[in-house]
Amino acid sequence: MDLEQLRKTAAEIVDRDDVKYLIGWKQGSFGYRVAPSFVEDAAGAAELIFSPLCTANLATYLTLVEKLPVPRGQEADDRKVALMVKGCDSRAVVQLLVEKGIHRDQVIVVGCPCPGMVDPALLAENYPETEEPAELKWNGDGFLLIRGGEEIKVARDELLAEKCRLCRYPNPVISDISLGEAVEPWEPVEDSGVIEIEGKDIDGRSDYWEEQFAKCVRCYSCRNVCPLCYCQDCILDRLNPTWVNRAVNFSENTAFHIARAFHLAGRCIECGECERVCPANIPLGRLNRKLAREVRDKYGFEPGVDPEAEPFQASFKPDDPEDFIL
Amino acid sequence: MSADYEPNIVAFLCNWCSYAGADLAGTSRVHYPANIQVIRVMCSGRVNPLYVMNALQQGADGVLVSGCHPGDCHYMEGNFYARRRLGMLKDLMEFIGVDPRRFHMSWVSASEGHKWKEVVEKTVEDAREAGPFEGFRRRQIDW
Repeated sequence: MDLEQLRKTAAEIVDRDDVKYLIGWKQGSFGYRVAPSFVEDAAGAAELIFSPLCTANLATYLTLVEKLPVPRGQEADDRKVALMVKGCDSRAVVQLLVEKGIHRDQVIVVGCPCPGMVDPALLAENYPETEEPAELKWNGDGFLLIRGGEEIKVARDELLAEKCRLCRYPNPVISDISLGEAVEPWEPVEDSGVIEIEGKDIDGRSDYWEEQFAKCVRCYSCRNVCPLCYCQDCILDRLNPTWVNRAVNFSENTAFHIARAFHLAGRCIECGECERVCPANIPLGRLNRKLAREVRDKYGFEPGVDPEAEPFQASFKPDDPEDFIL
Repeated sequence: MSADYEPNIVAFLCNWCSYAGADLAGTSRVHYPANIQVIRVMCSGRVNPLYVMNALQQGADGVLVSGCHPGDCHYMEGNFYARRRLGMLKDLMEFIGVDPRRFHMSWVSASEGHKWKEVVEKTVEDAREAGPFEGFRRRQIDW
């Protein structure tokens, strides 16, 4: 994508009277870091970037913003928020629209067709991070890493993030303003992580997840970063009734992960953010993708594609499968 | 597993069909295993999937959810929602490594006392085969 075009468009958007700010990505403080940027003026717009390092799903910020009570005599600030989205992020926006978490006329979707993001952990492992800000670009069929004055060509398969290997929607599903040209969707690979677990027997699965869940420190990063976990009053924070105790042990960790995964059944848009932010490297994406696949195969439902759809768990079809019923 | 192991089953029954069905089984003097602990709810659609998780956590070896047949729901469509949600939960539980024999769902109408007996027998039988649930049960720690 042409960065000049991106910055020019962004400057035009934030210049409008009915726009509060634009949420995009900018160069972070060091190394491969990319930071979210809340652009309110032309100077901010000049810092925006779009590179294979922009993995963060910015749709989270639409619902994370704190809505303070409006003082008497003042008017609520109902200006629009512009948001840069990749393919997966746009599905989060659609799902938020379906659930009426946001209103369509409150958001301006700036669509960025995405040729695939890198896995930041994989990148830092193969090419150690530098103090100087480094750059990464798409280069034909691979990536171009610019670091400390040298240019390194990297094959696409070496660094591509897992969620992007499985991606079926590289182009934004909805957008008001489209930047750059649509990319050709690629053939998603087999979901080896889920298949690996499905190949185990019940005890094998239970051992596998016991090992994974025992690592959990219950920081709730996965919940906080998820664009679709936006309940004001989350059951995990509730004390009465206490759905999940706060103790960090295997039993409560499993309960927490079941609750989290289940609340995303039929809603998860597979942006892979939960997995990326997990400090304990728990493969949460596998849980979510398994449920997403069941929803797709058994119920023929795909979240985050059609803004007019009914939410999965708040609707039904008379001919839903019931082979599990006695 | 000890020979005298008796599974603990928690059953969520809907007020209008399954609870009445179980009641009919009782008044008809039908014998069925006594391992079932019944919790009456107004509709199977009211059963939060987390109830199932919580029951297993707190010591149940198996969980049964029973409601009206599709189309017979007192609230028109409650059991359709339950079917969708609990079907997903069953898939998730299985993926996480909980024996699928520990969770059952059934449709029992108010006139099906004998079907209720069969459902309970099947549920208890399955839970007995699966053995005591050790998975993510809350463990009491003596300090």
